[in-house]
Amino acid sequence: MTIVAGIAPGKPDVDGLSYAALLARSLRTRLRVVCVVPGPWPTPLSGGVDREYAAYLADAATEEVAAVRSLLAELAPDLGSAGVEAEVVPAVGRSVPGTLLEQVAAADASLVVLGAGANGAWGHVVVGSAADRLLHSSPVPVAVATRGFRAAPGTQVGRVTVGFRGDPASAAALERAVALCVDLGATLRVATLGVLGRTMYPPEVRGEDDVLEAYLEQATAAQVEALAALPVDVVPAEVERVVSRGRDWAEAVGGLPWTPEDLLVVGSSSAGLLSRVFLGSSAAKILRHSPVPVVVVP
Amino acid sequence: MTPVPFRTQLLRRKPLAVRGGHDGPELGRSIGTFSLMMFGVGATVGTGIFFVLQEAVPDAGPAVVVSFLVAGLAAGLSAICYAELASAIPVSGSTYSYAYHALGELVAMVIAACVLLEYGVSSAAVAVGWSGYFNELTGSVLGVRLPQELSVSPVPYEDGPTGWINLPAVVLVLLCMLLLVRGASESARVNTIMVLIKLAVLGLFVVVGFSAFEVDRFDAFWAAGAAGVSAAAATIFFSFIGLDAVSTAGEEVRDPQRALPRAIMGALAVVITVYVLVAIAGVGAQPASEFESPEQQEAGLSVILQNITGSSIPGTVLAAGAVISIFSVTLVTLYGQTRILFAMGRDGMLPSRFARVNPRTLTPTYNTVVVAVVVALVAGFVPSDYLWDTVSIGTLGAFIVVALGVLVLRRTQPGLERPFRVPGYPVTPVLTVVVCAYILSGLPAVTWAIFGTWLAVVLAFYLLWGRRHARLNDPAAARGEGV
Repeated sequence: MTIVAGIAPGKPDVDGLSYAALLARSLRTRLRVVCVVPGPWPTPLSGGVDREYAAYLADAATEEVAAVRSLLAELAPDLGSAGVEAEVVPAVGRSVPGTLLEQVAAADASLVVLGAGANGAWGHVVVGSAADRLLHSSPVPVAVATRGFRAAPGTQVGRVTVGFRGDPASAAALERAVALCVDLGATLRVATLGVLGRTMYPPEVRGEDDVLEAYLEQATAAQVEALAALPVDVVPAEVERVVSRGRDWAEAVGGLPWTPEDLLVVGSSSAGLLSRVFLGSSAAKILRHSPVPVVVVP
Repeated sequence: MTPVPFRTQLLRRKPLAVRGGHDGPELGRSIGTFSLMMFGVGATVGTGIFFVLQEAVPDAGPAVVVSFLVAGLAAGLSAICYAELASAIPVSGSTYSYAYHALGELVAMVIAACVLLEYGVSSAAVAVGWSGYFNELTGSVLGVRLPQELSVSPVPYEDGPTGWINLPAVVLVLLCMLLLVRGASESARVNTIMVLIKLAVLGLFVVVGFSAFEVDRFDAFWAAGAAGVSAAAATIFFSFIGLDAVSTAGEEVRDPQRALPRAIMGALAVVITVYVLVAIAGVGAQPASEFESPEQQEAGLSVILQNITGSSIPGTVLAAGAVISIFSVTLVTLYGQTRILFAMGRDGMLPSRFARVNPRTLTPTYNTVVVAVVVALVAGFVPSDYLWDTVSIGTLGAFIVVALGVLVLRRTQPGLERPFRVPGYPVTPVLTVVVCAYILSGLPAVTWAIFGTWLAVVLAFYLLWGRRHARLNDPAAARGEGV
């Protein structure tokens, strides 16, 4: 099993790197940090200027890899002692997500990790342009760190919370979350979120609250059913089922207690392209309001 | 499980604890008088004003203005009775829920039959009216009108034209269904925009209508007599169904004892003013006899504007506004219908699939699709003339039961806490019953026959299926131990 963490050119992504190290430590698996560097134009007869530019890029790549390696050693000095084999490699490509997808295929990776985008609230998941593209095209789960994420050496994932709404896509996400729990040795929390949006009549007048309550009851029953359908030997010993409701997604997500050791798993849309990750509107809203890193599973 | 005696089952009431059994937050009292009043205005104005004049003026003549006042008086009295039930029974939901909590299972089913008729048929009726405006708009803008075969229902009404199907009405209902299935928030956003457009085009009509006002057209004011006034009031009555939604907000209103009656009265005053202004502008702008012409039957207000100005532009603007804004009326009535069926599904009075929520959109999808298909069939194949009266009888029936409910509850549960009490008790609820009965007397026999048949179907369904599957048959639910 390999985790691929992506670093964009000239942007030493501390959030993503820190989170990738935490996941690798928790999963005791190989970590491959990929520094995407731009390549020279592929001219058949390169002139002096082209050769100079190619040499400049090669130097820049070497410097970038060295800087990231040093940053990783600073952020997670315990990786070696934790049995994690970590490497920092350059990869030439003009598109960060495209290059990362090639690296995922080449390394036969099972997870790709990215940092938060630059424009968003601290402590929340911010989907940047590279993450957005990967969320729509990655064949493997995509983990996105929160903005400003830092983990002290030795920290591990303690609990996996999976967003569950009671449809087949949720059941699939639950299975992936359970597998992740087993690999991480973490506890499981199955969470259903209910949001009472705007209605044509004033809130609740025409029973919109009833619709929400019915949905939450329905989803609670589906939680029990989905957990019962899992093979007994794979279900974590500690399983918590919770329901949170709110007038918007921030209230519903914020209504759950979160700890720094939490990880949120959401499923992609059932309308997605084959089995690839394609975020549904609910998953996208949960992701944007999550105070902990999120793994989106296809 | 011990079988419940038949009589006990018919009279049993749903315990309030069943509704309050959830561990969710209580509804906050956040709605003030003004916003509640504006909500009532938005929910009521336009429900029928775009096409009701063409139905009502032939009955009442210029006295249609009085018909509006009579219908408004009945609606206002009923809304006050609603308010008492809403404040005494702290549950959200429709008249059906109030009746189930206050008056028992049988009365709840009777009210359900009334409100299902009220909402379901009004969705269809408004869709049929919309179809006329849509045709008018495409005719003015594109020069293309749907052939009669595709824009008129096949069922004959007196000497009116017949076709194969009212296709635009069916398409409208199905479009509303798509929006409602998509989600309540999306529907609410679209609805808000359409309500604003609705108020703007009505303003346009009044301004242009008064420019052609001739007082002579009110000469034979009482020519149709009291019978004409009551017949027109009965036809108009469905326009006021939006007011009942004001009273059902009792649980969330700040200071409900003051806010509810003020908001109801304020909304009623605004709504009646708008309606009467439109009626005066319409009747003052053209002779009463012209309201019966076939072209006005299709898109009345728009045709009036064209006749006044001699230009198709104001009429086209009004038709465009009507096409957009009447969409919202169908949307809201369909929405109300699905939520009533949802409540019934939760109580076991309908198959539980009606209370099943789609986890992706958080809407009762199956319920919405079934309602839309039935309403689309009615809209596509039944002429609007039959539909308006049927809506009114459903609304009036529900209002009478609510007024009786106030009287019964005051007697059977005098100690029940009532944050809002009907002023002038017992005159107000008795007067409500009398006024509603007076209006009902104006409805034709065929409407009574349709209503009676429908009531029999609903009660037969209850006796054969509903009473065996009612959730109150579960002893835990009957004791109010949560759902």
